[in-house]
Amino acid sequence: MVTKLKDVDVVVVGLGWTGGILAKELAESGLKVVAIERGAQRSSENDYSLPNIRDELRYVVRHDLMQNTARDTLTVRNNPSQEALPMRRLGSFLPGEVVGGSGVHWSGHTWRWTDMEFKVRSNYEERYGKKFIPDDMTIQDWGITYAELEPYYEKFEYTAAVSGKAGNLGGKIQEGGNPFEAPRAKDYPLPPLTPILASEMFSTAARNAGYHPFPRPSANASQPYTNPDGTKFGGCQYCGYCQRFGCEANAKGSPHMTVIPIAMRNPNFELRTNSWVTKVNKTSDGKRVTGVSYTNILNGEEFEQPANIVLLCAYALNNVHLMLLSGVGQPYDPVAQTGTVGKNYCYQTGAAATLFFEGKYFNPFMNAGGSNATIDDFNINWGFDRGPHGFVGAYNVGGGFNTNLPIGYRPVPSGTPQWGSEWKRATAKWYQTAMVINASGSVMANRYNCFDLDPTYKNAFGQPLMRMTFDYQANEHKMGQHAAQVINDIAASMNPSKINKAVARTDPWTVVPYQSTHNTGGTIMGTNPRDSVVNKYLQSWDCHNLFVVGANVFPHNASYNPTGPVGALAYWTADAIKSKYVKNPGPLVAA
Amino acid sequence: MTRLARIVAALAATLAIMGTARAAGDATRGEAHFQDCAACHTLEAGANGVGPSLHGIFGRKAGDVADFRYSPAMKRSGITWTPETLDKFIADPQGLVPGNRMPYAGMAKEADRADLIAYLQKASK
Repeated sequence: MVTKLKDVDVVVVGLGWTGGILAKELAESGLKVVAIERGAQRSSENDYSLPNIRDELRYVVRHDLMQNTARDTLTVRNNPSQEALPMRRLGSFLPGEVVGGSGVHWSGHTWRWTDMEFKVRSNYEERYGKKFIPDDMTIQDWGITYAELEPYYEKFEYTAAVSGKAGNLGGKIQEGGNPFEAPRAKDYPLPPLTPILASEMFSTAARNAGYHPFPRPSANASQPYTNPDGTKFGGCQYCGYCQRFGCEANAKGSPHMTVIPIAMRNPNFELRTNSWVTKVNKTSDGKRVTGVSYTNILNGEEFEQPANIVLLCAYALNNVHLMLLSGVGQPYDPVAQTGTVGKNYCYQTGAAATLFFEGKYFNPFMNAGGSNATIDDFNINWGFDRGPHGFVGAYNVGGGFNTNLPIGYRPVPSGTPQWGSEWKRATAKWYQTAMVINASGSVMANRYNCFDLDPTYKNAFGQPLMRMTFDYQANEHKMGQHAAQVINDIAASMNPSKINKAVARTDPWTVVPYQSTHNTGGTIMGTNPRDSVVNKYLQSWDCHNLFVVGANVFPHNASYNPTGPVGALAYWTADAIKSKYVKNPGPLVAA
Repeated sequence: MTRLARIVAALAATLAIMGTARAAGDATRGEAHFQDCAACHTLEAGANGVGPSLHGIFGRKAGDVADFRYSPAMKRSGITWTPETLDKFIADPQGLVPGNRMPYAGMAKEADRADLIAYLQKASK
């Protein structure tokens, strides 16, 4: 039996960064908001404090804060000629499942994506001609500009306590910051984190090579801070347990300690945890959505929650899955190239070198999530000519540490046996002496990299799993080769005792090991309903009272971490709903 | 370390610092230093956050605030909070009470601690 609940103004599916921001903003504007979250309520006080933290086995090996694949997962394959099989254990990426979502266990790297991404097709066509972009590379302009998003980036940076150094204040290049960044109106709310030996050595070598190192902007408070909403942050203690963990010092900008508690104190807001949304419901003509259906996963009770506005704010992959399950919009067909829902799934790539310096002590157990220096000379620097190298996209290179844990962090020079007493001797000898230089690279959209519903496998609710088809293309392989060469040149200039060189990847993508929780696309944004699922306000072209918020709207993936634009777009959408949609419900952009 | 040894060590540490003289601090500057603490501690009675409320801290036994989940280490530390014991604790929290739950590396400068304690003496009443 399905219990039909009382109508509300807004239902929010998933309560992480995007759901938290929208719930807070819309409840404050007077709308009645209900958030429905799969995961449990957890708090800094009870859960992210000793003795429940700094537990690598629980959080890293057993994925305590992550999605449970026994209930729902994806099937995966590299190309349409293969049969997709279910991913029965998380590996390559780790979606969160808890109040706060992946915003609890992220490292805090917060970037501003620029017009280099938002106008990607126009930029490359203008500079290199239409033929430079391969036929099967389905990249497109996003329909939004950096200038539109700038104030919302700032809002997110000030909410999440981002520590960093401006590189371009209103067009004026700032010493020590990232000279390639787009102009910002204000500096970061907090100064950069204290550099560590590895990031300083990388910075020196990069500077000597003519590059422009700067401290990585991160939502790890470098000192105590009170954000504009009144949330108090402690200073980062460099505990070394950042990525995969809730922060015990209240120093990592996370939704569960910023926007969500503010929403919770608002009588207009209600949260239902352990509740799984199975479907977005539509009117019979399919022009509007009417609410969502969900199941209480503790007792199996089923509910229908009617709402005037539905906001899909789950993890990117789950937003796409819900759209496909609910039949909103036309599913994408990579062969006929019709439809849009499921199109342009993108991921990230990279290359890394490990450098060993006998006699140096890097103290790899002591760092912040963002203890890293970065160069963007091959990233948002449009002065870097991609022409001779023949690839579209970019990569950033960083040196430093983030969360090197006692069980998993065992750097040894290549050639060391993988087990036994010699391996033990080597891990003891090299543990303190190693540092990493790594590149994070973009992945451009390809017509065959996409999502649809799996024809065979079902989840715990009897619904088809979502099928992911993905592999790297020649474009990414070429970029990987360039990145590996740059890394190896910088590394060689540092004269390490030993080096495990960076190697460009050419093997197919697989679900193991962990690579990056930066999955993008599937319900992409754009300028018209033929090429995209949502408009620039993340509003569905098909149903105007449905907004789909998250990295699922990115038409391609950049080299940067996605949370900066994810947070900014959530504030941007909240503003559009408050100032435009509520007054005059209907399409915010003419189709 | 056995439990008894730990208690003895804590007591010894407590006694050792009773004799040291402390410079008087500046409560106004101390209020700024309290920002280091404010993400977890309030000064309102009963308002526990990630850390216990610091209302009425002076003269209280460590681990004594109702409804707060202390570490066993803090509960058996045997400390009574005075300006002297608090100074020693804030200087090196894990040094004075090994295994306590407070994720704070410590306030290194003696003058900063004196300012903070001067502020707490006013504001925790």
